[in-house]
Amino acid sequence: MDDVFRALADPTRRRVVEALCQQPASVSELAAPFKMALSSFVEHLKVLEGCGLVSSTKTGRVRTYRLAPGRLREAEDWLGQQRRIWEQRLDQLDAYLMKLKAAQKESGT
Amino acid sequence: MSAFEIDPKLDLRLERVVDVEPALVWACWTQPEHIVKWFTPSPWRTKSVEIDLRPGGRFNSVMLSPEGQEFPNLGCLLEVVPQRRLVFTDTLLEGFRPSGKPFFSAVVEIEPEGAGATRYIATAIHGSEESRQQHEAMGFHNGWGAALDQLVALARTLSA
Repeated sequence: MDDVFRALADPTRRRVVEALCQQPASVSELAAPFKMALSSFVEHLKVLEGCGLVSSTKTGRVRTYRLAPGRLREAEDWLGQQRRIWEQRLDQLDAYLMKLKAAQKESGT
Repeated sequence: MSAFEIDPKLDLRLERVVDVEPALVWACWTQPEHIVKWFTPSPWRTKSVEIDLRPGGRFNSVMLSPEGQEFPNLGCLLEVVPQRRLVFTDTLLEGFRPSGKPFFSAVVEIEPEGAGATRYIATAIHGSEESRQQHEAMGFHNGWGAALDQLVALARTLSA
């Protein structure tokens, strides 16, 4: 998994992966938010594709990138991810309950 | 103790004891103004919740990504026993209409624990491997991104 972590250590590449979490996108769409030469940006995409985090397909002149969740899955099993969502959800609930309780006490109800 | 068995390969069960009255725990699980405050794991937020507190009643929410993108979640309530038990699902919509994207059912069991405290058990029940994979693809698409966040955090520590 080292190559995945190295790929994600770069802020530009993290933002690309985050964007691809929403939906597949073309090179120009992905590059739009960044102020860098297209050739440098394409290098970032190659790193991401090289470690298997994203995949691309070319239709005509447009290359479209999409997330390849397989690599993420290796480090993060599905049920573990759900568990984290639920743990965090219930942590938030418990914190909120204590806040409500404190507020009730303060108002003397 | 929960009233039913789970499949440890598919399901999750979380149990908590919290130092508040059961009525408050029930209110937080069933009233939109409370649900919006805690339901969605941060940095995502709950934009709105609609709940019609009866079997077959809607349980719909809209989640908001950190970038402000909205993701609706539609579901329905299956069982409502005040201060004891709430069961809801996204496998059915309002009025028990079958959903196009079935993923989970959740059971919340609440009971008093000693003086003034509450034990609650939240169980998330998931479908087969196929529906899991379908949701997995969808999950990345709708950007829960929990796996990614964790990887990103790990990557940051590695690069530091």
